[in-house]
Amino acid sequence: MADIEGSPGSSMHGVTGREPVLAFSVASSTVPTDTTAKFDLPVDSEHKAKKFKLFSLANPHMRTFHLSWISFFTCFVSTFAAAPLVPIIRDNLNLTKSDIGNAGVASVSGSIFSRLVMGAVCDLLGPRYGCAFLIMMSAPTVFCMSFVSSAGGYLAVRFMIGFSLATFVSCQYWMSTMFNTKIIGLVNGTAAGWGNMGGGATQLIMPLLYDIIRRTGSTPFTAWRIAFFIPGWLHVIMGILVMTLGQDLPDGNLSALQKKGEVAKDKFGKVLLYAVTNYRTWIFVLLYGYSMGVELSTDNVIAEYFYDRFDLKLHTAGTIAATFGMANIVARPFGGFASDYSARKFGMRGRLWTLWILQTLGGTFCLLLGRANSLPLAVTFMIIFSVGAQAACGATFGIIPFISRRSLGVISGMTGAGGNFGSGLTQLLFFTSSKYSTATGLSYMGIMIIACTLPVTLVHFPQWGSMFLPPTKDADKASEEHYYSSEYTEEEKKKGMHHNSLKFAETSRSERGSRVVSAPTPPNSTPNHV
Amino acid sequence: MAIQGSIVASILLSYLVAACYGATFSSLQNTLVVTASPQAGQVLKGGEDNITVTWSLNNTFPAGTDSDYKTVKIKLCYAPISQQDRAWRKTEEELKRDKTCQHKIVAKPYSPSTNTFTWTVQRDVPTATYFIRAYVHNSADKEVAFGQTTDSHKATNLFEVQAISGRHVSLDIASVCFSAFSVVALFGFFFLEKRKAKASQKS
Repeated sequence: MADIEGSPGSSMHGVTGREPVLAFSVASSTVPTDTTAKFDLPVDSEHKAKKFKLFSLANPHMRTFHLSWISFFTCFVSTFAAAPLVPIIRDNLNLTKSDIGNAGVASVSGSIFSRLVMGAVCDLLGPRYGCAFLIMMSAPTVFCMSFVSSAGGYLAVRFMIGFSLATFVSCQYWMSTMFNTKIIGLVNGTAAGWGNMGGGATQLIMPLLYDIIRRTGSTPFTAWRIAFFIPGWLHVIMGILVMTLGQDLPDGNLSALQKKGEVAKDKFGKVLLYAVTNYRTWIFVLLYGYSMGVELSTDNVIAEYFYDRFDLKLHTAGTIAATFGMANIVARPFGGFASDYSARKFGMRGRLWTLWILQTLGGTFCLLLGRANSLPLAVTFMIIFSVGAQAACGATFGIIPFISRRSLGVISGMTGAGGNFGSGLTQLLFFTSSKYSTATGLSYMGIMIIACTLPVTLVHFPQWGSMFLPPTKDADKASEEHYYSSEYTEEEKKKGMHHNSLKFAETSRSERGSRVVSAPTPPNSTPNHV
Repeated sequence: MAIQGSIVASILLSYLVAACYGATFSSLQNTLVVTASPQAGQVLKGGEDNITVTWSLNNTFPAGTDSDYKTVKIKLCYAPISQQDRAWRKTEEELKRDKTCQHKIVAKPYSPSTNTFTWTVQRDVPTATYFIRAYVHNSADKEVAFGQTTDSHKATNLFEVQAISGRHVSLDIASVCFSAFSVVALFGFFFLEKRKAKASQKS
């Protein structure tokens, strides 16, 4: 049957289908494997892993993954360690609501700057030392909590500990030296999500430690200070592990190797220009502030909220608060998956709608959380809010790689900084003044989330359209190649600097959804029924 | 017959309603006279100083007022100045939701004669301005009366507590030691590796 041309089974439609956007491994045929390399995982020509084997500690790829995400996790634990203990700390240091709110703002503001600097540090020292330096130099700031005796001191220490959140950058940078670009999305998304979990885990860990220390006989005002030693020790331990067990590159360390890069070094000024002048960058900076930003804000206020509103014990409030942050283990990857799944049929329009739906859902349930008067209802609303917000984070980074190829690094960095900025802003607006209660603050934050998610309707790609509009009718402009090579001047194109972008443009055709023009049918096949 | 029935029903209903609704502060009678040893404006040290509370029934009230008084609970309560900007210490009418008095001093069985109790200020009492209030509970453990050391506006006869800092010299020393270790370990590794790299380049 199959040898009769045109008969069922002989069509070549879809055989050369687009590569999977979300994948656990890259099909060997698409990226050549370097068979001379002796690694645990199949690697490409740069010795970056093509496969992601989760439950392995093999050197160097998977070991790097685990060292990296656990370091990031540790920094989240210490940055938000104060949050579940605030009911004790506020009595010890005689804090007012604005003191607590300002310290929360400070805890997320420091990393806006440290994340921007971290990229350069990783370039200079390598991601291994970038991570180790940050995590071990912020260990003293965690130990400093034992000295704090006033509102000012509390704010200063939380600000300094917050710098450690820049391990996000070293984590993602380090992953990109170890894993092939085709699977880097999943790897980075998993590492980021599991790192963010630290904000939830700390709400469980710290009250538990506090309880244990109190049982050994400590008074409350001393017990919370001792509890802070544990995150501090984690910093030191992870720093030492990173330095002794980690390596910068698959083949060794930066200082011992002479690395000859294949990629021509781009000019930072140009990269920054194309990031900043692309309006979509700014829309996503705003959007991420209301998915990641509100997640960080909620990490800071939710334990105290449940403790006060529902008269719970400290460790009960902590447990409930922990479920908020721990949802990251599945919620963020789910968001990325939902984005990819909707893209299969609806392309970029599907991704944009998915993001809007998830983030607006999060906002709606944040609003309802503030209104909930009974504990079971409040917990339910909080969980749905957390899934919505965290899935939206994952969905955001499902779209970001397509905004620009040339300036992807800078745009990712700016978006990340936007997340922290959004967190600082929402804490300042809604959780610092005594004008309204925390419950009202949560409701207002929910309204602001819904409002600030609307700009996603304005994101338009000439080649793919937007949420409501189709792609542009101009045949020239409606191509992926045109969009990605428009980031280079004619001179730069003559130098061939845009070739990687052209390669990317080809693979990005998957964002057309089911309208993808599959490979042309073989010329000598005729349909059965003419 | 129907009227009698409806009266009984309305009495039962109001009893139920009263039982369901938490007692409110304004429903309590100020029948106890409570005094405490701290002078107005005195500063007490947490963990060290004592407070002696004295309470008795105010005899100007008719006999039989205390017929259902069972236990007296003495509490340390926040003055309005220490409640500002601190919603977790807010005064609410409904006693179940009221957060004014968060520190229990003592609970004793009720007796109309003069009672005293001496209490050492606990080490978990925060730095704030306070007064002392005694709640009288009936046999159903519901508040029925109270007495306090201050006036109805909570403005007179207030005293302060200076809490312990919670800091210890041993903690401070441990903190410095671990911080120093962290920094030294980091730079130690860094320079050691740099030297090894230089050595391997030369050889």
